[in-house]
Amino acid sequence: MSTPPVAVRPQPVQSVQVRPDKPRNGPKYAIAIVVLAGITVWSALAVEVDVAALFRNANNASRTLIQLVQPDYSFIPQTMPALMQTVQMAIIGTAISIAVALPLSFLASRATNPNKTLLAVVRFIMNVVRSVPDLLYASIFVTVVGTGALSGIMAIFLFDLGIMVKLISEALDGIDRGGQEAARAAGATWLKANRSAMLPEIAPSYLSQSIYVLELNIRASAVIGLVGAGGLGMLIDKVRTFYQYHYLSTVILEILVLVVLLELLSSFTRKRLLT
Amino acid sequence: MSADAPALVAARDVARPRKPWRLARKAVWIAATVLVVAAFWSIDISWSALLTMPQRLVHYLGLMFLPPAWAKFPDAFSATMLSVAMAWLGTMIGIIVSFPLSLLATRGLTPFFVRLPLRGLFAVLRAVPEVVIAVLMLSVTGLTAFTGALAIALGSMGTLGKWGYESFESVDTGAIEAARAAGASRVQVMRWGVWPNARPDVLAFWLYRFEISVRASAILGLIGAGGIGKMLIDNIQFRVWDVVGILMIVVVVVTMTIDQISGMVRNRIINGYWQLPLISAVSKVVRKVKR
Repeated sequence: MSTPPVAVRPQPVQSVQVRPDKPRNGPKYAIAIVVLAGITVWSALAVEVDVAALFRNANNASRTLIQLVQPDYSFIPQTMPALMQTVQMAIIGTAISIAVALPLSFLASRATNPNKTLLAVVRFIMNVVRSVPDLLYASIFVTVVGTGALSGIMAIFLFDLGIMVKLISEALDGIDRGGQEAARAAGATWLKANRSAMLPEIAPSYLSQSIYVLELNIRASAVIGLVGAGGLGMLIDKVRTFYQYHYLSTVILEILVLVVLLELLSSFTRKRLLT
Repeated sequence: MSADAPALVAARDVARPRKPWRLARKAVWIAATVLVVAAFWSIDISWSALLTMPQRLVHYLGLMFLPPAWAKFPDAFSATMLSVAMAWLGTMIGIIVSFPLSLLATRGLTPFFVRLPLRGLFAVLRAVPEVVIAVLMLSVTGLTAFTGALAIALGSMGTLGKWGYESFESVDTGAIEAARAAGASRVQVMRWGVWPNARPDVLAFWLYRFEISVRASAILGLIGAGGIGKMLIDNIQFRVWDVVGILMIVVVVVTMTIDQISGMVRNRIINGYWQLPLISAVSKVVRKVKR
């Protein structure tokens, strides 16, 4: 035992034997690639890929494209009401949805809701709410409450609710539960423990997700108007049906500017919040 | 000990540090509140419509789901499959195009004059919603399911490109350095230094992007690109509510199923075991990672 280790040069052969076997993943990868390629071929057949069709009416297309790359800036004053409405819809939708989402996310997190049945029910409902696309909500609300900003706000609200509850409840799942445990041990009810120990922990991420949702909403509220729910989308639909492509590209440029501005604001504030 | 107690209580208010007065934070809060109030106050909405809304909503939900038109299920299902195909093809094209581009946009791997234009391209593609891309494309080519897939491909290029270079930049630099020290070329550094580290994240967000694309493809249908969205908007316009009901059921079930499958694969990629996300959400079943 006490003999000092003898410096022996390891034989190359030995070192090869010590090395662990390379895992044989070849067959697994092959199966995965075949499955993926199969699905891709199926989807290509289903959507009837036809590259030639893209060029068939090239003549027509070039005229449209020329109009599109010449946005008519004199149209901007006329878009202002729709632009305002888009921003208003986004802000109101965000405000309502983040207010409703906060208690719901506490119900939807394993860490803060001890009642397994209620947890499963809330989770399931939120999954359903999240799997309906925003434009579909909008088109249904347009028929229920009529065209205009109200149906847009309702659609944005439901759409955000799903996202917010998912993000916040996952944040709740991830945080350290020591404070909550201490509060429970000191005799607090679940509500009090969550309020005093869990809420402060997720406050920064809650705010940052709220800003993220506002950013999403600007995008969404510019689009849901396509089915009649107010805002810039309604304008897009209008100029598109009249083939006014130089107006169309003006509106799209406006959306672009709006989204980029909000993205800058959002990434700046979120960086401040999370560090 | 007990003699000290009253003194401690009395000293508490003095000893406790003063709550910091954060002017900027207060200002932001006030600004946000004003903004929200102003938006509520200025928007042109007849809020009274909200009062009758629950009643109307129940009425329409009744028309949709009591009972849904089960006879239309086969049509609804095949239309949804077309939407899924659109999403898959679009995401695939997006992945194939964006993957090399995002490697080229990674800081530290390529010079700035390659990197910056690509980043700009990704940013523009991300800023334009898919529906708007589709509206633009449809005015050029006419709207088919294939155009829808291309619109999704363009949209996913934006997000995938950004997520791609972000995760390539966040990999541990050790492996890159080692590869460089061993004399690897630029491509070899990407292959052996960057890719093995970034692979799980990249695969995970490819899956996540597919989930987004499934939703986007349903939306594209609403403006005419075929699939479930087209069937939905047609039936909503003609007020065939029981068909709308079955379509919504199919959309929700298919979307949730795809989310679960993709979540399961993602669990396998990131955590190393198979588990349905719905199960792991409710009860944390910790399984040993097989090694």
